[in-house]
Amino acid sequence: MKDNGNPYKPHVATVEDTWNETYGDRCIKTFKVVFDDEKVRESWEHLPGQCAMIGLPGVGESMISISCSPTEGKFLRFSVMRMGKVTQALHQLEPGDKMNVRGPYGNSFPVDEWKGKKIITIGGGIGQAPLRPIIEYVKANRSDYEDLTVIYGSRTSSDLCFQGELEELNSCDDVSCHLSIDVEEENWSHFVGFVPSLLMDVNPSPENTIAITCGPPIMIKFVLENLKKLNFEDDQIYTTLENRMKCGIGKCGRCNAGNLYVCKDGPVFSYATLKQVPEAFA
Amino acid sequence: MVDLDKLRTVAKETVSRDDVKYLIGWSQGTFGFRVSPHFVKEPEEVDSLTFSPLCCNNLATYLTLTEKNPVPRGEEADTRKVALMVKGCDSRAVVQQLVEHGVGRDQVYIIGCPCEGVVDVKKVEKKFGELLEPVQASWENGKVSFQLPGGQVESLPREEVLAQNCLTCRYPNPVVSDILLWDEVEVKGNDDYEDVKELESKSSQDKWAYWQDKFTSCIRCYSCRNVCPLCYCEDCILDRLNPTWVFRSTNVAENTAFQMARAFHLAGRCIECGECERVCPVDIPLMKINRKLYKEVHEKYEFEPGLDPETKPFQASYRPDDKEDFIL
Amino acid sequence: MEHLKLSKDKLGDFVAKLGDKEVLVPQKEGEALKFVPLTGDSVPELDYANTSVPPKNAVFPQTETMLRFEWGKMETTAVTGEAKEKVFFGVRPCDARAKVIVDKLFTWDEKDPYYVEKREKSTVVGLACAEPCSNCFCTSVGGGPASTEGLDVLLTDLGESYLVQPLTDEGQSLCQAASDDLEKAAEGDVQAAEKVHQEAEKKISRQIDTGGIPEGLPGLWENELWEKVSQSCLGCGICTYLCPTCHCFDMQDEVEGFDGRRCRTWDSCMFSEYTMHASGHNPRPTRRERTRNRINHKYSYFVDKFDVIACVGCGRCISLCPVNIDILDILSKVKEAL
Repeated sequence: MKDNGNPYKPHVATVEDTWNETYGDRCIKTFKVVFDDEKVRESWEHLPGQCAMIGLPGVGESMISISCSPTEGKFLRFSVMRMGKVTQALHQLEPGDKMNVRGPYGNSFPVDEWKGKKIITIGGGIGQAPLRPIIEYVKANRSDYEDLTVIYGSRTSSDLCFQGELEELNSCDDVSCHLSIDVEEENWSHFVGFVPSLLMDVNPSPENTIAITCGPPIMIKFVLENLKKLNFEDDQIYTTLENRMKCGIGKCGRCNAGNLYVCKDGPVFSYATLKQVPEAFA
Repeated sequence: MVDLDKLRTVAKETVSRDDVKYLIGWSQGTFGFRVSPHFVKEPEEVDSLTFSPLCCNNLATYLTLTEKNPVPRGEEADTRKVALMVKGCDSRAVVQQLVEHGVGRDQVYIIGCPCEGVVDVKKVEKKFGELLEPVQASWENGKVSFQLPGGQVESLPREEVLAQNCLTCRYPNPVVSDILLWDEVEVKGNDDYEDVKELESKSSQDKWAYWQDKFTSCIRCYSCRNVCPLCYCEDCILDRLNPTWVFRSTNVAENTAFQMARAFHLAGRCIECGECERVCPVDIPLMKINRKLYKEVHEKYEFEPGLDPETKPFQASYRPDDKEDFIL
Repeated sequence: MEHLKLSKDKLGDFVAKLGDKEVLVPQKEGEALKFVPLTGDSVPELDYANTSVPPKNAVFPQTETMLRFEWGKMETTAVTGEAKEKVFFGVRPCDARAKVIVDKLFTWDEKDPYYVEKREKSTVVGLACAEPCSNCFCTSVGGGPASTEGLDVLLTDLGESYLVQPLTDEGQSLCQAASDDLEKAAEGDVQAAEKVHQEAEKKISRQIDTGGIPEGLPGLWENELWEKVSQSCLGCGICTYLCPTCHCFDMQDEVEGFDGRRCRTWDSCMFSEYTMHASGHNPRPTRRERTRNRINHKYSYFVDKFDVIACVGCGRCISLCPVNIDILDILSKVKEAL
């Protein structure tokens, strides 16, 4: 349910569960939240790739990607990195506490268009959060998609998000999961190196394939280069952008990258679209 | 006497030097009485440089305003000097920046232009209308002469057209410079702080009402702060959100907080160039506040900022014999 | 709708008949000329060029509370339904046209309830320009000194009287309410008004041909002109705050004691922290990128989305920029580079 007639008025949701994905200064915490109002809970619809504005009154709001697929149940998941005022306040929340949520905003991955195709996700660090919903969606609708490959890497093994789920993916028969960390570590039996190198190692074929990437800008730059080396066409490559946002509905004018409003025309964009917008990779 | 040929020759020589990145001067604006700051990189561009009673911009603000871009890998930062043309007040701004180590002496090449006072554009436009054709002006025998469109020339007494600041200015000659373009000018101004005393004599209620009225129209464009050569904190406290010291709301309480905080941060540092008041789009008489604090510092501590590059910053130094009677 | 005439000495009566609506007229608040509510029996003074602050501040206030809440509680109350009926009296055609342009954005998909309810409750009585401002270039961007876009009524100064031209149903009912003070206009009056409009258009001397600019701007992304035109920029908000079509805003939560509000305030794309991410990364780190974005947004991106240049040629940014950064100068450099 998009709004209460007023797109700026948020709904109240309760934190059902929360846990750390990573630790340290810029740690990542995942929140599983459920709307208090039953009508909202029942009528909420979102697709993988969309985001929501979450926050606390008196502190502010932040646009965070919804990191769960609608196929998982009547709840929402957000993986939030502690960075500034709002995320710091969100990190203090415990199960039972409440937060404000409004949305869903933005466009989604074109899941219908992609039916019958092979899907590869290439993520780095916190960039895995917006990719998780498409992974879960494809898993839940496995017969609609030919193949699912997950490529994900982080600086160290303790910086990997969704560790439990990734281990599960590894043991799945019909999903291939490739993990990497930047530097050798004891007890690490998987690839060692940067994500773009892991991509070349996996060497996917571009035929009937869609590649979705999200992560630090420097990683995206090299992943794009490598995908081109592997002969992926521009319209086979997708990414999600982020920018500072305030309204989430294309009014405040802040989030534009070139003539594209990230909150409305995005956050999901194909490389074919972004290529024409120099500001997209600023 | 202003010598434009000398100005352009010196500018050309300066820009051609290997150790100078660019030169900042003034050139004719795009309409009427306007003059715009001009960044000259190539020697050919010096012909558009000028100096006249219309050159009100304080170019010292660009020493601290210009962003230091991240250096691409493999390249080295461009540490060459910036050549700056300064009037008396502008040079005081540079001195204050030197005192505070905001700028290094070896990073700036100062070209001094003794000045007989710049016009208050609002006064002039009221008199002549907002003209579109570019207007030239010059100082002639204690008056300001305007070459208006159509060939007409009008000379007006300085009291009628000069900025208020310039009429009381005691430092028309640059206090520091690497080269002085022409002879120093006679000091015509004398400051009795009449405008400040007038406001001081009002009752607290009247003063409060006066400023509440003015601060209601403040639109927090931050033009006063950005144009000020001495407001150069990279992370201005009045912009901070974590924590938020001053709300973004533009009600009179927040506006007052903004203006007062800025004024106090400038106490003992403001060199009275008057730019803040000139740029304000809603005509708030900001110099009254700055001059009040200037007067306090001058009278109570016998200190004027921006005169001696060797002094310590006023708010960061202490003398055992500093007056305390008004505090205790 | 037929033309009417209002003699100048009846202006006060006409305004009084606008009843219980709030009438906003150009008046000095502090030192700045802006649109403020008319008080008591005063008669509007319409002898002015243009206000420094455009009338957008009445439908899109500089500070506007959107939600109220109590500190510590999660429930928020939307502050809507409080809009009053307003009449803007004496608005110049450029500012009225600007409202129509900004409407497009605030009603794009999700309607902004705060803006929309204020706009729906406002009637705009315009005053055609007889003496355009010196930096006006409205005719170059699709406007004119007597443009009727966004107006409910257009007044034209005929010397001793105004020609009154109702343009919409609201305008018509406004005139009907004051029908005692109005008389039918003669053919000669209509022609005199036409002449005023034509003479005014001739007086607009600043022009630019915007042909090719919206399509060509993206191609000039790395052009050196952006460095040149932004070097003297101070990064203040004057051009954006005083522009009738600029509409960017910030949303902040402000708490005083236990009273909290989420309000929106004008923001400017020229400020350095406008696009600053929490991580410290800023996609537009210097004034060059911000100036480039502003010009592109007004003359290219807005055209892509809404088919109209987001500039009405009022000239305020040119007159009020403290360092004489002139948008017509920038546009002519753009044309040269194309």
